[in-house]
Amino acid sequence: MSVQFSQEKLDEVNEMISHYPEGKQKSALLGVLHMAQEEFGWLNVNTMDYVASLLKLQPIEVYEVASFYSMFNLKAVGRYVFEVCQTGPCMLKGSDAIIEYIKKKLDINVGETTKDGMFTLKTVECLGACGYAPMMQMGKYYKEHLTPEKVDQIVEECRKNSERNN
Amino acid sequence: MKKLLLDKVDIPDIKSFEVYRREGGYQSVEKALKMQTGDIVEEVKKSGLRGRGGAGFPTGMKWSFLAKPEGIPRYLVCNADESEPGTFKDRFLMEYIPHLLIEGMIVSSFALGSNTSYIYIRGEYDWVADILQVAIDEARQNGFLGKNILGSGFDCNIFLYRGAGAYICGEETALLESLEGKRGLPRIKPPFPAIKGVWGCPTVVNNVETICAVVPIINEGGEAYSKIGIGRSTGTKLISACGNINKPGVYEIDMTISVEEFIYSDEYCGGIQNGKRLKACIPGGSSVPILPANLLLKTAKGEPRLMNYESLADGGFITGSSMGSGGFIVLDEDQCIVRHTFTISRFYHHESCGQCSPCREGTGWLEKIFYNIENGRGKMKDIDLLWDIQRRIEGNTICPFGDAASWPVAAAIRHFRDEFEWHVLNPEECLVRNYGLAHYADPLEVVASN
Repeated sequence: MSVQFSQEKLDEVNEMISHYPEGKQKSALLGVLHMAQEEFGWLNVNTMDYVASLLKLQPIEVYEVASFYSMFNLKAVGRYVFEVCQTGPCMLKGSDAIIEYIKKKLDINVGETTKDGMFTLKTVECLGACGYAPMMQMGKYYKEHLTPEKVDQIVEECRKNSERNN
Repeated sequence: MKKLLLDKVDIPDIKSFEVYRREGGYQSVEKALKMQTGDIVEEVKKSGLRGRGGAGFPTGMKWSFLAKPEGIPRYLVCNADESEPGTFKDRFLMEYIPHLLIEGMIVSSFALGSNTSYIYIRGEYDWVADILQVAIDEARQNGFLGKNILGSGFDCNIFLYRGAGAYICGEETALLESLEGKRGLPRIKPPFPAIKGVWGCPTVVNNVETICAVVPIINEGGEAYSKIGIGRSTGTKLISACGNINKPGVYEIDMTISVEEFIYSDEYCGGIQNGKRLKACIPGGSSVPILPANLLLKTAKGEPRLMNYESLADGGFITGSSMGSGGFIVLDEDQCIVRHTFTISRFYHHESCGQCSPCREGTGWLEKIFYNIENGRGKMKDIDLLWDIQRRIEGNTICPFGDAASWPVAAAIRHFRDEFEWHVLNPEECLVRNYGLAHYADPLEVVASN
């Protein structure tokens, strides 16, 4: 399956390349990978090869970068990804219990996706929200001061949004 | 005390250019563009401002090291890759008063001769990047960015660069590698970025809070700034407080207040949650040594410990700690030191870039041994093994990450060895309850009797 950005997205890529000196278009790599992931859900080899061609890079230059940074998904993920912080300050405020609660509620383990492809649960390291712990990232935004009730609400909202969009 | 960074943060709509400008924003740009660039650097030197990212290096000195070869561009890069556990102050600045950073960036870019400057923001702060982008666009529309700013002849553009989830990119040379679109592997120094930074050009990398602090320094003068605080801890510092306290959040302090006041006064942390007792604290982000309550509140000499660079470091790493990045993590009496340090070791293992063997392998060993001890499968000799491993990582890596992974382990064993031993001796009990304060003298009583 081949992948392709819309013209609008291609303009965005060129705009991004223009932020860097002549010949340094490789600097746009992280940005373009973010765009590709947003567009295509995750980064498979085809997508990474496409990004390489856009920036005139060797495919390996893209693979080695995509595999280094934890935000890039090299495997398919669910429609909504719960990335729950488990580092010290969140642990002090009960992140372990939140992770257990989500596991039970969605009937998946950390790193797994629900059968309906709706939710993926991941644990992540410190996201810089220590004062608002426990917390998780969901897409662009943070969900903070998590409690079991709040998790219920979030799951409910995701399901509703998904129905609406289908 | 007079706030210098957060003084306007509560004004409604301060995020917008219009309100920020009306409240006196961007005056430092108008002032700076009429100054000689060397004089701006002098003001920053005079202020005594020290880098707010963690290392505490004098900013004016860092600026004066910047090489200025003919015909080669120079760059200012703002380090907004805030990822040190316990630290969320830069996010607060960027999220709630974004124009302050943009204003500081323009003044600093002018002082350093950078016509293209970058803000490297951690990838997860996605929505914060949007807020900054709006601020940059507004500044450009109002003539504070772009060509010939305010008719001064100075051109400057600021671009945002989003990272993608790598703590190591907070290390300045790893950050520059990442900015070049590569894996974030720290470079061997020298050459330092001031000589060869991004794309081989002279580069200054400064933390968000550092760049924001340039604004009041230019507005009120370096000397006025240097008179706030105490000794070499001049100006104000943002502390992000978290853990088991009543009021977690970001506080701006002048560095004369005591740690005790910071934890217990209602103006700041508001005391320990649920009326519990204080057990320990990591005062400057996960990398710096943890201190038990008695050594936190008073130095080994019995003097009250203050919230500043010198006092927090008093006693070295034997009985002191460090200001670090200002990530203040408080642990109450119920918390388990072994479990907490385990999460920190897991963090460093996850974030090690893998370039240097002692760190790549050592951090994994630390995590696994911690996991065993925490889960009732540890042996007495494991405690010495932990000590041995961290000693062999420290100082043996290209970048300070290795030290940062070692120090928390060393301090946990140094101050709480009995808690490790209790885990080994009580493998079943340690699964169902924490050691608490049961076997310690009440640290606060120790403080009181000093």
